[in-house]
Amino acid sequence: MLGYVAIGLPCGILCSSIGLNPWQALLLSYLFYSGAGQFMIPNMYLAGASVPSIIASVSLVNTRQMLYAASFAKECSRCSRILAFFFAATVTDESYGVSIKKFEEGNWSVKQAFMVNLFSQSSWAWANFAGVLIGTSVNVPLPIAAFAMTSIFICLLVTQKLTSINIVAMVFAMFGVFGCKVLGLRGPAILIGAIIGVVFASLYGFASGQFPKASGDSVDEL
Amino acid sequence: MSWDEFWIIFAVCAVTILLCRVVPLFVLKGRELPQGFSYALGLIPPAVFAALVANDLLSPEMFDAGLWPAAAPLIAAVCVVIIALRTKSLLWSALGGVAAYGLLLLL
Repeated sequence: MLGYVAIGLPCGILCSSIGLNPWQALLLSYLFYSGAGQFMIPNMYLAGASVPSIIASVSLVNTRQMLYAASFAKECSRCSRILAFFFAATVTDESYGVSIKKFEEGNWSVKQAFMVNLFSQSSWAWANFAGVLIGTSVNVPLPIAAFAMTSIFICLLVTQKLTSINIVAMVFAMFGVFGCKVLGLRGPAILIGAIIGVVFASLYGFASGQFPKASGDSVDEL
Repeated sequence: MSWDEFWIIFAVCAVTILLCRVVPLFVLKGRELPQGFSYALGLIPPAVFAALVANDLLSPEMFDAGLWPAAAPLIAAVCVVIIALRTKSLLWSALGGVAAYGLLLLL
């Protein structure tokens, strides 16, 4: 929860730099609710990007949320449709990281996960609100504010289990992102990189016998 | 940013992200997933987080402005890795990362 405050404040500061007021930031944080996306909008706007290109890039980056929702399909198979809808609608990078760990440990329900989502969303939204207020009164360098988000992603990455198959997924995902950028595919770089990571790790798992009865089409469906 | 621009970006992005979040779950929900497929889903977290980190830290033109502007975030990232492994805390990682990066840029 406090992690959201630590990144919500800098995100609010960035939003204030493009002239958003605190209520706009609050609305954006509640209904859009994407850390990376909300950091991207002010960054691209300041870099002079047009409205359609901001929408296209942000939406493409957010396609990774498809992977999050998909990975909770098993856990949500026994809960009501309404709960599943609201749970899926309020998942984002960090609460996904928390929930996936809790589900792995067991003793964790979709309802509890949804409560985590709601608390995270609220602390994120109000931290953004406060960030805009700070940003309009204090001058904070923007790249430093944006590094809060990067730090959160690094923490989520290094606290994954470091099995050989996960390391393959990480390395290929990183190469995938870099390769996309070399080809000029900045918007979908995260999604394509992540899929490359999953595909290669699956192939590795299959080849090294770590993959239980892998069906041929399992990887392609992603 | 004007109100008009804000509303357009806000509305379109909010709808696309909601669809991305909700549709895959309802497509997959309640179906018997092949074991290999479930296993592949488990590979999503390391791959996505690695992709997000790489997206923030690496780009083909990162060394264009010289060695130090590219090295500073990488050194700060190493500091975050150490903090994250020791504390396992998102809060301390964010605070430590911002502090490390800020100090490096002051040098």
